[in-house]
Formats: sequence, C-alpha cells, structure tokens
Amino acid sequence: MTARLFELMLKAAGYTVVISVASIGIGLLVGILVCAAKLSPRPWLRWPAGVFVSFFRGVPLLVQLLLIYNLLPAVGIVVPSVVAALVGLSLCTAAYQAENLRGGFASVPRGLLEAADMAGLSPWQQFRRIRAPIALRLTVPALVNEAILILKASSLVSVVGVIELTRTAQNLAASTYEPLLFYSVAGGLYLAINWIVAGGGALAERGLRRGRLA
Amino acid sequence: MNKRFFVQIALGMGLSMTMPLLAQAQDSLARVKAAGVLKVGTETAFAPFDFIDAAGDHAGFNVDAFAEVGKELGVKIQWVELPWDGVLPALEAGQFNMVAGPATITKARMERYRFLSPVAEATVAVLKGAKDATIQKPEDIAGKMVGAGKATAQLAQLKTYSATLPKPVVAREYPAFNEAYADLAAGRIAAVANSLPNIAYVASKQPGTFAVVKPPFGQTSYFGYIGTKKPDDQPLLDAVQAALVKIKADGRMKKMQEKWFGTSFDTPDVAPEPSF
Amino acid sequence: MSFDLAVVVAALPAILAGLQVTLGIWLAALALGIGLGFAVAALRHFGPGPLGLALRLAVEVLRGTPFLIQIFLLYFGGPFVGIRLDPVPAGLLGLSVYAAAYFSEIFRAGFVAVPRGHVEAAQCVGLSRAQIVRRILVPEMTMLVLPQCVNMAVILVKETAILSIIAVPEATAVISALGSQQYAFVESLFLLALIYWLLVEACGWAGRALERRLSKFRFA
Repeated sequence: MTARLFELMLKAAGYTVVISVASIGIGLLVGILVCAAKLSPRPWLRWPAGVFVSFFRGVPLLVQLLLIYNLLPAVGIVVPSVVAALVGLSLCTAAYQAENLRGGFASVPRGLLEAADMAGLSPWQQFRRIRAPIALRLTVPALVNEAILILKASSLVSVVGVIELTRTAQNLAASTYEPLLFYSVAGGLYLAINWIVAGGGALAERGLRRGRLA
Repeated sequence: MNKRFFVQIALGMGLSMTMPLLAQAQDSLARVKAAGVLKVGTETAFAPFDFIDAAGDHAGFNVDAFAEVGKELGVKIQWVELPWDGVLPALEAGQFNMVAGPATITKARMERYRFLSPVAEATVAVLKGAKDATIQKPEDIAGKMVGAGKATAQLAQLKTYSATLPKPVVAREYPAFNEAYADLAAGRIAAVANSLPNIAYVASKQPGTFAVVKPPFGQTSYFGYIGTKKPDDQPLLDAVQAALVKIKADGRMKKMQEKWFGTSFDTPDVAPEPSF
Repeated sequence: MSFDLAVVVAALPAILAGLQVTLGIWLAALALGIGLGFAVAALRHFGPGPLGLALRLAVEVLRGTPFLIQIFLLYFGGPFVGIRLDPVPAGLLGLSVYAAAYFSEIFRAGFVAVPRGHVEAAQCVGLSRAQIVRRILVPEMTMLVLPQCVNMAVILVKETAILSIIAVPEATAVISALGSQQYAFVESLFLLALIYWLLVEACGWAGRALERRLSKFRFA
C-alpha cells in the first residue's frame, strides 16, 4: 500500500469518526426526548415513543437509510447523502439510547427520591440533583457500548452515497486487487478507534464514580 | 457539550431540507446554472466508464465526458456515488439531476427514463478465466455458473441467452461487477457476462487472469446517460443532450473513446429504438 | 408515489424462498454462535492462561470491527489464503463466528455472576468439575443470560440482511431485486421494513415468553 492510499484510508476513517460522533450526539438528545416521552403519564406521548423505539430497533439500518434517502423526497423532503446518513444513524441510536436511559432512571432507588421529597426538593431539583446524575452514571457504560455499535454500523452508510472507511476499502480493494490488505487495514483502523472510545469510556466512568455524587 | 454546535447542526439540517423546495420556482436548467453545479449519480465499480483507479482517484470515461459537458454548460460536476441498484431509485427521488452509469438502452428503461445520446456500444459478451479451456465460444457457458451485476441489463441479457442454451446457466447476481470479477478470479464462478467495452478493459489490465470470449452473445445495444421524464427536468436534459452531440461532432468523443476503450464507436446522436 | 400490491403478490414465492434462507441462516448461526460462544467462554474461564489470552484477543477483534468488514475479509480475502467458500457457507460461517464472540462475552459475565457459594457448596458435596458445570453453572447461568441472549438473537436477524452484499439469496437480496427489476422501489422498501420489523417483534416476543416460562425455575 502506497503512502497516498494509506492517507486516503486515514482520511476515510476520520470521516467515519465525524459521522459517528455527530450521530451519537444527536441520538443522545433525541433519545432523551424519546425517553421522557416514554416515561410520561400521557398516553399520546407514550404511544408514539413506543412505536419509534420499536421501529428503529426492529428495522435493519440498511433499510432505514434507504427509506430516508429514497422515500422522504416523495413527501417533499430531499435529504442529501450526508444528512440521510446522519438522520438514519441518529434515529437508530436514539431508539437504543432511549431504552438505556429508561433503564437508568428505573434503577434510581426509590428511597432516595422519598428522602428528597421529605427534604422539600422540588421535582425539578430532584431530577437535576438526584435522578439525572444517577441515571447518567448508570448509563455511561451503555453509552460507550452504543458509540462502538454506531461506529461499526456507520460502515453501511455508503448505500446512501457517503464514502467512509468501509467504502474506501472496498473501492481500493477493487482497484488494486488486494482485498486482504485493504480490508485488514480497515479492520485495524476500526479496532483502534473503538479501543480509544472504550478507553475514554472507562476514564469517564472512573471520573463519575470519584465525583461528588457518591 | 457545546450547545451551539448542535444548534448549528440542527439549523444546517433544517436548511438543507427546505432549500430544494424554495428553489423549485425556476426550471431545472436555470437552477443548475444558478448553483453552478450539475449533480450526477453514478456507480464507481464499472471500469473503464467509472471507477476508482490504483492511485485512489475517481477516473474513467464518465469523468472525462462529464468534464466536457460541464465546460459546455459552464458548471461544475458533483458526483454522488451509490451501489448500482440504488442509483435509479435515487434519481427518481430527485437526489441528483441525472445518472452517468452508463446504462444499457433497453425497452423497459426507455419507457421509464429519458436516454441521452449513446456514448458506446453495450453488446454483452463473456469474460472467462485466462486458463479455462472449456469455454471457447459463448454457448460453452451452458450449465455453468455465470456472474453479473444486480439490476443490470447485462444480467437480463444473460438470462435471455441462457434460455436458448441446451442447459441453462446458473446466474449469480452481484452488487457490482467488481465483485463478480473477483469471484471469477477466485474460481467461484466460470464466467462474467458484461458489455464488451467493460470486459475488454478488465482483460487488458489483467491478461494473465481474464480473457474475453468472442463473439458477443447479446443483441447489439448501446450505453447512454439517463434522466427522468419529469417535465421539469427536460430543459436541463435538452442542454446536456446538445452538449453531447456537440462533443461528438467536433471529435472529442472519439478521442475519449480511444483513450478508454482502445477503439471508437459510431454511435447515433439520438438514442435508437432498442431491440430488447 | 404509489403502492402496487400486485407486484408483491406476484413475487410471493420468491419472497418466501428468500425468507426461508434468512430464517435458515439465522437459526443455524444462532445455534452455532451459542455453542461456539459457550465453548470460548468456558475455555477462557477454565482453560490455560495463554489460550484464554488468545481467545480474548480474537473476541475483541470480532467485537471491535464491523460485520461487513469481517464478511468482506472472509469472502473476498479468503481465496488469497486458500479459503474459498460459496456465499451461503461463507455467510453462515461469518455470522456464526461473529455471534460467537458476543455470546461468549454474555456467557463469561454469566459464569462470573453465579454466586461462588453455590460452586463451593457443590465442591463440598464432592461433585466433579464436569458435574458442577452441568448441574450448577449452566442452569443458573441460563436464567441470568437469557435476556441478553434474546437481545443478541434479535440483532442477528438484522445482521443477516448484510449477507445480501455477498450475493446470499436471502430476503433482502430477493426483495430489493424485486424493486430494481420491476421499478417497484417503494413497494420493496416498505416490504423490507415490514418483514424485518415483524420478525424482530416476533423474536422479542418469543424470547420474553421463554423468559417467563423459565422464570419459575429461578434460584433465590
């Protein structure tokens, strides 16, 4: 592999990282909203949130991406390749993150909330000081897991025209007739990125554990 | 987390969704000229028309031809690369102005799309392993496993031809012809059915691995670039058609054909009525 | 945009054949993945150190890279090192090994989560190592790991769709071919979404039913 081709692979890996990180971020925000809707006492919020989670966890990402890219224009929304990829990855991870968050909130000990009630904390204060920090700490490992899943899932976004790491490897494997080399290098790059993410996650967890919440 | 970053992303996404709607007022040609960009959908696994070369660059006949079209229209070309079976749905969805490909001009496609001036012959032939002595003429593929690209006219031609053979071939469909070539090299399949310009190029690049079986088995056909039949798209497609005819008339097309195919074709100015 | 049901009805036999391939590969990969995953977890838990380390590395690599890259390496890279598999066996092998990596992690966590006291008690009454695995570890672990196994089974259903990229004639390949051959793009996308959604919901439902049935055997 020439230096130039390796550089192309590195650039493509950068693209993979940018798209994945943006999707995780947007997905977390949407996931928080969906989780709030799912925990809501109002059925007209709970129901759509339930369908959202079920749909985006039930349909393969490949199909979701094509739906967004090829069918949204039929209702007047033309999303370019990168946006389609971002929307697809974000909504998919949002569905999973909403469920992770719900699990986190469900495991906040009731006793703590009762104590907070007694101490006269308002519901907002309870949320900010007790429920959110505890749920966050409980869901950090799940979030790191999700980040790794999305990094790997981003290998599919070439079906909507985004040329990332996997597609670049595929292109170069075909033009150089060296599939073994290019797919191995791509695999190595994914592995390196994921190890960095996992390491970062472990640090964040330790930080949160040592933090003022204990 | 940086709030402004997300606001920007959200704004950007919102804008990019509404922009095409706002721009709908003018016709397609005026819009493309105003933007200065012609968006072309293609598949980069179709050498020598469209591929990624060994240096990692997007290259091929299409890149050269559209550079000339861009010059004629005074616009830049923006490529959107998709797997082939995703290209036509995305064209219909309005993701780009037209499709390079190119695609074989067939009756079914003519009914649904507008073909511009043909750029090369597309008649289908057999590519085999260089050391395979069992295939000497096209009908020798009877009963063997033959690969072709998914959703391609070449695959349809292979199936039609197969029905005329004493023993039908086993057709294996690939997302792209590149994968079919790889499987032929690996010995998983006995042959690949693709248009003559394509397999002639592949065989010339790897003479020790592949060989072309002559004559072609398919019916004579042409390759052309595609647009939709939407009335709104016609002014733009008229302009690209005129540019292609001009490029043919002044000899530029011939030069590009010789560069990429090693030969030139006499192609009609207007897409002819296909035989299949 | 219109939906032509006639196209779908005419293609039903082909679609059913594709579904059969999807289900066949899924079930086979599930069984192989669970078996292999259990073996890997057991070897890492009880086997010699260097072997455990090697297996750990393999599991990390399989979990840290996209399935698409793995299947490309196996299918297109394989022939260069003498492994020449056809699409279906390659897809089955790739998916099983991929699943095994995840299942082994689930089982490993399960081994660790079985209370040490139970194992010690079994040792005290003189059970052999094999007996402890068969009578104590496996049954207790099954209850602990069942929800994650169901989760993984659901993920595997969706991963089978990726095998269409190496020309395995499964549901996604058949249905998307229907789209491109007859220009029935809308129909094929809707159909794909619907079929996988139903499959995944059915799988999740069956898994939860199984959990409920087995929960009466739960240990305190």
